[in-house]
Amino acid sequence: MNIQKKDGCPKYFEFFNSVKIISGYKALENISSELDLLGAKRPIIITDKGVNNAGLMDHVVNSFGGTQITIGAVYDDTPVDSSNVAVNEIAGIYRQQQCDSIIAVGGGSVIDTAKGVNIVISEETDDLMKFAGNNRLTKTMRPFIVVPTTAGTGSEVTMAAVIANPAQNVKMQFTSPLILPKVAVLDPVMTMSMPPKITAATAMDALTHAVEAYIGPQKNPVSDAFAFSAIELIKENIISATKNGGDKDVRLAMANASLLAGVSFSNSMVGIVHALAHATGGRCHVPHGIANAILLPHGLEFYLKKSPETAERIGKLLRFFIEPEDYAKVPASERKIKTIAAIRDINDNLHKLCGLPLTLSQAGVTKDKLESIAQVALNDGAMAFCPVEISHEEAMDVLQAAF
Amino acid sequence: MSSRMYQIAPPKKWLKTQITRLCLYFLGMGIETAYKNVPDVKKEMDTLPDHFSFCFNVHNGPSMMILKNGNTVKYAGEKEAYHADLELVLKNIEYAYLMMTGRISTPDAVYHNRQFVRGNLGYMMTMIRVLNISQTLLFPNVLLRFYIKKVPPLTMKTMINRTKAYANATIGFFA
Repeated sequence: MNIQKKDGCPKYFEFFNSVKIISGYKALENISSELDLLGAKRPIIITDKGVNNAGLMDHVVNSFGGTQITIGAVYDDTPVDSSNVAVNEIAGIYRQQQCDSIIAVGGGSVIDTAKGVNIVISEETDDLMKFAGNNRLTKTMRPFIVVPTTAGTGSEVTMAAVIANPAQNVKMQFTSPLILPKVAVLDPVMTMSMPPKITAATAMDALTHAVEAYIGPQKNPVSDAFAFSAIELIKENIISATKNGGDKDVRLAMANASLLAGVSFSNSMVGIVHALAHATGGRCHVPHGIANAILLPHGLEFYLKKSPETAERIGKLLRFFIEPEDYAKVPASERKIKTIAAIRDINDNLHKLCGLPLTLSQAGVTKDKLESIAQVALNDGAMAFCPVEISHEEAMDVLQAAF
Repeated sequence: MSSRMYQIAPPKKWLKTQITRLCLYFLGMGIETAYKNVPDVKKEMDTLPDHFSFCFNVHNGPSMMILKNGNTVKYAGEKEAYHADLELVLKNIEYAYLMMTGRISTPDAVYHNRQFVRGNLGYMMTMIRVLNISQTLLFPNVLLRFYIKKVPPLTMKTMINRTKAYANATIGFFA
């Protein structure tokens, strides 16, 4: 009873997202008018080789046909892990070419790099490091539009960027509401060429965002609405998107789901699954979506034992994974177990369809790395948003179960 | 036509500010004592850079600064937060007062966005663990559940350290 009361509405919450969302067929065609509204005429486009080679840049460039916009420069050499070296190089090009706005076309790495460039340009600095951490930014950012080419990170609507400093071998996190893009443009043609395994991994990333956003202690009614819509869309479309990537409707649904999950977790934050996935990525270079897919059921199982309130919320999610009449038949006490089983079923199906790893060992993690992954995870910001205090031993238990 | 323009001064909230200031003082002295007497706190804080400053403050209100210099950790009173490496800011005195008097737990203050962090989140995670342990030196176990997520079992060592923390805060002894 108490849990339902708490679940109804928190005593206090805050919610913020200022990104204008343009989603649908031919959405790219709106970029030039959006730039106009933002008072910009000469954008730099930041992308990577993969996006360029897949011909996706052509769609973006064509959308400027017959408009007054001049493309100031295109940078297509963004590394797989965004770095401050690339950020400084792009900022130099931006200044040299007298650009006045930024368009990011790509996945999480490209978007994070573009956020870094915006910080360097807007804060009029050459040292990105000075702005690492939370809420270090003070200036209004330059007009910034994002066109995601994956459907998972939700980076187009989140107020965080992770940028590596290879010289010091560290990854720096930048968090501020100021780095939110002005506009996110979701067009299904931009995600059509994603291979099945990346489609599956990024979709599981989005599912993890939505699930953790809903079960976390910072959840609120507004973020719940976004999380529920995201889970519903992912459940309906994740298998079709992996099986049949050419289906535009399915691609658009997944792009929307990723964005909705991004808005949700940007406000409610994530928990143990993400903390462990970040650390697994950092120590063993396992792609973030794959790490999340593997760890999600194990992280949820951990909560079943430790936090009754969270377990109750996990149970409530079952209604998104089975038909309403079947949901009504499942006793309340069994719903949480069935939710985790349903997520495992999705993972199993994706494994059969495209070889998505089911365990950390399948993803290339060796047993000797688990200790250091657990250690790094304890210092991850997501740990602050776990409903229970997590010890090194407990983090190890989850990792060993996922191994 | 009579003018409706007038000036009004908002209340100072003096009592809430002073209570918060006093709590921050005890917390600062608690961290100083914990660093010297609790191995887990020393281990955590030794992972921070040699020259490190942490400021816990209320926006436009009282604050406390902790300075780490090599192997010493000092409570430095209400120093200017401008240059702090890490800053934990409670958004207003009302939230601070509720938190300091145990009516909002520290985790709830985080979940409700009643605070924000300026600086490295990894360092903040370390300082959250340090704050949690330091609070165990300041409050009896029966009250601790209002402040932290997991209340550790009461041991003789904790009771001795509590005595030292209060002696340090009141007479500057046992630090």
